[in-house]
Amino acid sequence: MIAPEAAGLKLSLRPPYRPQALKISLNQAGIALLAALGALGIVMYVVKLITAWGDRAEWAYPTVVLMFILSTATSAPLIAYASRMAKGYWALPLRRVAALYAVPSLLSFVLLIPIMASLPPLEGRSNLWFGFSAGAPFLTDALALAILLLTGMALLWFSAVPDLAGPPSRVRAMSRWQRLLFLNWSGTARQWKVLRAANLALGAFYLMGYAFVHMLLTTDLGQSLLPGWRSGIFPVYSAVTGIQAGIAITLLTAALMRRFSPEAGRFIGDEQAAALGKILVAATLMWFYFFWSDFLLIWYARLPSEVAAMQVTVAITYILPFVLTAVLMFALPLGLLIFNKVRQSLSLIAGVSALIVVGILFDRIRFFVAPMANPSPFGHAMHELPAPYWPNALDVLFIIGFIGLMFAVFVYAASRIPVLNGWEMRQGSMLRKERTYMKAHVLVIGKPD
Amino acid sequence: MQSQAKRELLALYEEPDQAADAVERLQSAGFDDNDIEILSSTPYPEGAFGEGHTKHRLFAFPFAGAACGMAVGIAWIVGAQVSLPIITGGKPIVAVPAIIQILYEGTLLGAVLFTVLGVLFESRLPDGVGLYDDRISEGYIGISVMARERRLPDAQIALEEASPIDLLSKEGSLMHAPGTT
Repeated sequence: MIAPEAAGLKLSLRPPYRPQALKISLNQAGIALLAALGALGIVMYVVKLITAWGDRAEWAYPTVVLMFILSTATSAPLIAYASRMAKGYWALPLRRVAALYAVPSLLSFVLLIPIMASLPPLEGRSNLWFGFSAGAPFLTDALALAILLLTGMALLWFSAVPDLAGPPSRVRAMSRWQRLLFLNWSGTARQWKVLRAANLALGAFYLMGYAFVHMLLTTDLGQSLLPGWRSGIFPVYSAVTGIQAGIAITLLTAALMRRFSPEAGRFIGDEQAAALGKILVAATLMWFYFFWSDFLLIWYARLPSEVAAMQVTVAITYILPFVLTAVLMFALPLGLLIFNKVRQSLSLIAGVSALIVVGILFDRIRFFVAPMANPSPFGHAMHELPAPYWPNALDVLFIIGFIGLMFAVFVYAASRIPVLNGWEMRQGSMLRKERTYMKAHVLVIGKPD
Repeated sequence: MQSQAKRELLALYEEPDQAADAVERLQSAGFDDNDIEILSSTPYPEGAFGEGHTKHRLFAFPFAGAACGMAVGIAWIVGAQVSLPIITGGKPIVAVPAIIQILYEGTLLGAVLFTVLGVLFESRLPDGVGLYDDRISEGYIGISVMARERRLPDAQIALEEASPIDLLSKEGSLMHAPGTT
C-alpha cells in the first residue's frame, strides 16, 4: 500500500483546518520569471492583434497555443470531477489544483476571437455546418467555448465558497450581490448537499462541453482548412490526448506544489502519483490506439486526398513534430511508466509529465499549423503538399510568452484562492483512518454518499 | 395567532455525538425533521446525526434548462434556415443530422445556466437560515429547531439535555446571564 501523507489523515475539525492561498512575491525568482513571461505573452498578443488581424497564416502558431491550452489547462479540471465521481480520496489534495486551471483556461477565449476572425468563408470547403448561416462557425464556436469556460469557473467557485466565505457574520455583512456570490453560506446540511450535487452535475456538463469544444475546434481550425483531411477519429484523439496532457500538467503542478508550497506539500505525495500514474499509462496507450486507428484506415484505403493529408500531418511535411510527438507522448512515457518505481514516485512521474506536456505542443503544431497556413483551403483535395510553415522569431516569442502567461495566471489564481480544498480534505480526514489489521497497517475508507 | 408563529432556537455542541443526541431528543419530543436544521463547518455524511433525508430539487433545474436551451436552439436553427433557405447536398432545408451540434450547444448552455441558478435557489438565497453563530465556523456543530411558541420549552429541554455549550434564541443566549458571553 502506498500510504497517504500522514498530515491528510489527521486534520483538525475544531478549529477546522483552513488552507491558505499561495504566498507569492515578485522578489521570488520563479514568480518574477513567470511575471516577465506573462508580460511578454500580453505584448506578443497585442503585437499580433495590431499587425496580423485577419491574416490566417500569422495566427497559425497562436492556434497551436490555443489548442495547447485546451489540451492542458482546460482538461485538468476533469481530474477534479472524475475523482469526485469515483470517490477517489487520493485526489483530495489535487482537486483544487486541477480546478484552478479553469482560470488560465479563460485565455483560450482571448485567443479564439482573432483566430476565428481570420477564417475564410465556409462556402466551398468541407465543414460541419451544412450551410448554417446564422453565426457559424464564429458564434457557434465562441459560444461552445464560453459554455465550457463558464462551467469550469462555476465548478471552481462553488467548490471554493466554503473555504472563502468565512464565518456567517461576515457573509451577513456583505452586500446583496456578494452574498449571492457566496451562496449566503452558513453551512447548513442542505447547503452541503446542494454543493455536492452541483459539483457532480457541473462536472458532468464540463466533460460534455470539453468533448464538444474539441470536436468543433479540431474541425473548424483543422480538418475543414486542409482539403482531403476527413477523420472522424481526430476529434476524439484530440480530446483523449488532451486528457493525457491534463493529467500530466496536474502531476507536474503537484510536484511543484510539494517542492515550493510548504502547506500544500504536507498533503501531496506518492499516493497521488501512484493513482494518477495508472490513468496516465492508460492515456498514453490511448495515444497510440487513436493514432493507429486513424492511420491504418487511411493507409489501407489509399484515397489520394486522404493520403495527402496524412502526409502533411505525419509522414512528410511535419514529420519532425510527429516524431517528437511520438517519442515524447508515447514511446518515452510508456517505456518509463511501466516501471512501478517511476509511476509511484511523484518526482519521477513529474519528469515524465514534463515530456508529455512538451510533446503535446509538437502534436498540436503538426495538426494545426498546416491548415491555418494553408493558402488554398477550398475544394476536397490538395493538388500538392504544402511546404512546412516554421515559426519565425515572433511566433517563438508568442508561444513562450503566452504559455508563460497561462502559468502566471494559474499562480495568480492560486495566490487568491486556497490551493487545497479545505472542506473536502476535512471530510476526507474524517472518513479515512489508518488501522492495524493483524500485523499489517491498512487504510479504512468510508464512502457514505 | 401569536401562539401559532414559529420561533427558532440554536444550540451549539462540541462533539458530533452530542449533536446527534440532540437531534434524537428533538425527534422523540415530536419535532418534525423539516423543523430541524444542522449547521457545520465540515460536511458530515447524510444521516450522521440521525436527521431526516434532506430533499432538494437541484436535479430538476438542468432538465428544465436543457428543455429551454433546446427550444432556443430549434428556434435559432429553424429561423436561420427558413429565412435563408440553401439546399445543401440535396438534403432538406432543416435536416436533423446537420443541426444536431447546434441543438447540443443550446441544450448544454441551458442546462449549465439553470444549474447555476438552481444552486443559488436551492441554497435558499437570499434569506438562508435565521439564527447563526460564528462558533459554527470554528468547528462547533449547530442544531437549529423551529418551534411554535407553546412548544419552545420542549425544544429547549431537548437541546439542553444533550449538553450544548450554548443555546441561542433571537434575543440572545439562554444559558448565560445577561451581560456575559
